[in-house]
Amino acid sequence: MSELAVEVKNLTKVFSTSLSKDHVVAVDNLSFEVKAGEVYGLIGPNGSGKSTTMKVVLGLMAASKGSAKVFGLDSGDIRARNEIGFLPENPYFYKHLSGAETLQFYGKLCGIKGSKLKDRIAELLHLVDLEGAADRRLGGYSKGMLQRIGLAQTLIQDPRLVILDEPTAGVDPVGSRQIRDLIMKLRDDGYTVFLCSHLLEQVQEVCDRVGIIFKGRMRREGSLEELISIEDQTAMTLEGASPELMEKINALVAEDGKAKIVEQGHPRTTLERLFINIAGQRKEKSDNE
Amino acid sequence: MSDSNTTAPTLRPPTAKVPLFSIGRVWTIAGSTVTQLVRMKTFYFLLAFALVVVAVGNFNIPTTPAKELSMIKKVSFGTMDLFAWLFAIVSTALLIPRDLEDRTLYTILSKPVRRIEYLVGKLGGVLFVIAVSLLAMFAICAVMIYARESLFVGAELEAMQADSRYSQEEIAEQLSLIQMQGLRPELGVAVLASFLKASVVAAVTIFLSTFASSSLFTIIVSVLLFLIGHAHTMATNFWLHQTDSNLFVQMLVKIVKILIPNYQLFSFSEGVVQGEAINYVVVSQMGMLTGGYLVVFILLSLLVFVDKEF
Repeated sequence: MSELAVEVKNLTKVFSTSLSKDHVVAVDNLSFEVKAGEVYGLIGPNGSGKSTTMKVVLGLMAASKGSAKVFGLDSGDIRARNEIGFLPENPYFYKHLSGAETLQFYGKLCGIKGSKLKDRIAELLHLVDLEGAADRRLGGYSKGMLQRIGLAQTLIQDPRLVILDEPTAGVDPVGSRQIRDLIMKLRDDGYTVFLCSHLLEQVQEVCDRVGIIFKGRMRREGSLEELISIEDQTAMTLEGASPELMEKINALVAEDGKAKIVEQGHPRTTLERLFINIAGQRKEKSDNE
Repeated sequence: MSDSNTTAPTLRPPTAKVPLFSIGRVWTIAGSTVTQLVRMKTFYFLLAFALVVVAVGNFNIPTTPAKELSMIKKVSFGTMDLFAWLFAIVSTALLIPRDLEDRTLYTILSKPVRRIEYLVGKLGGVLFVIAVSLLAMFAICAVMIYARESLFVGAELEAMQADSRYSQEEIAEQLSLIQMQGLRPELGVAVLASFLKASVVAAVTIFLSTFASSSLFTIIVSVLLFLIGHAHTMATNFWLHQTDSNLFVQMLVKIVKILIPNYQLFSFSEGVVQGEAINYVVVSQMGMLTGGYLVVFILLSLLVFVDKEF
């Protein structure tokens, strides 16, 4: 886990506004590292410098100061880009191509040919559950399908690093869940994932480490556990606990003297989970019918 | 956070080495450009061209068959030339700005693709479509010219044979005059000239589209440059030989002379269409000049595009 997938050092990006001497500092002396094999989330509000940082890492922009490296290679190096699979926010691909043709195009750009490419396309279409829409033009794809074909495109050359910019932006909860499951699968398959998002719940679900960026500067960084755990509190969830048992627990806590119960009640599901459960049940029912 | 990370997964191995420059990647982008242009239904303009040729071929002009054939060729090849350069401008002007607006460029350039490969691929795709279009237009012209030529030769032969005043030599001479204006392999050189000119136009347009803010701007400026390029010799002679021109004007004219291609040079094809003998030295010089223009404008495009931030 010690190898660095991304190494950003003292990165500064300044945009000069046209015809004036004003400058906008989009990223200000930013440093962070993404270790190989981890899921790293860069979070921050809109305009905080996330996408600019990502573009510098991708070699689409040059740093005004500092450096960005991918697996030890300068981010502008073409060999570094072969190690990266990138899914932009709201991915736009050629609408005149079908899903399979899109993957074929990007695969060929990465130097994959023949049966190897054909097999890889079939494998990825299966992974993102788009086998049935492989020959349909992207112009007819839904937002979620576009996002999934985009994800397949990022993996076409089997890169070591996957960069995702707001991967679930504009996708409905079911599509969003599928994408999150795919990200988790990527981590389990040994990919390094670098994710930018302002959807905190999404980041919390999938990331190992998180960096919080605001106005171009890194404000907090660390493992998710470090950042969100409340050290002096312990949570316990019981199932089937009788009122008598609860009384005993309360009595034990009261006896202790130091500890106190801060919150007690029924844990709630999220609206999103509820929606997914209902949608899943409806789908099952209609499949059975 | 996921709880699936109970054991550390095996990390992915490094990807295969990529060449620093790859003809395969250029070819892939060119192929995609061809598909894009074809699926944008750009070949529909061939229908308009066919209509023009059929209309011209069916004009009844009170003149000799040779002159009528000459006129058909002149209008058809003129239209072919017009369609070729217009197509070169419009299709090229749409490609890069559209990729930029649609952000398709992000995903392409985030793959191991050099910017020069992208530019050459785009230009290559446009040139391929122009070449196919010109061949298709030439085929339409050839059918029309051959049909009219056969008609004229048959009618002339019949009329002259019916008239006892004409000897066999005179008949052969008259038919030869018609055939001189008919379908001849030399017409292929005129098609080549149109292709060379359209190639330069496409290269200039691709250069403009690397810094233009919209397709419309690119199209307008490209058309303007095309028109200026036709008045190249006249304009430069006028300005450079004006005794009262100051040094600034002279320098400006020289820069314009270098930067704006001289499209007049490609008009040697007009003589070929009219049946004049082909000077193959001129043809090869034009080929080399076109190659030079393509290299210069691709390098200029790269100069702008290489540091462009997206």
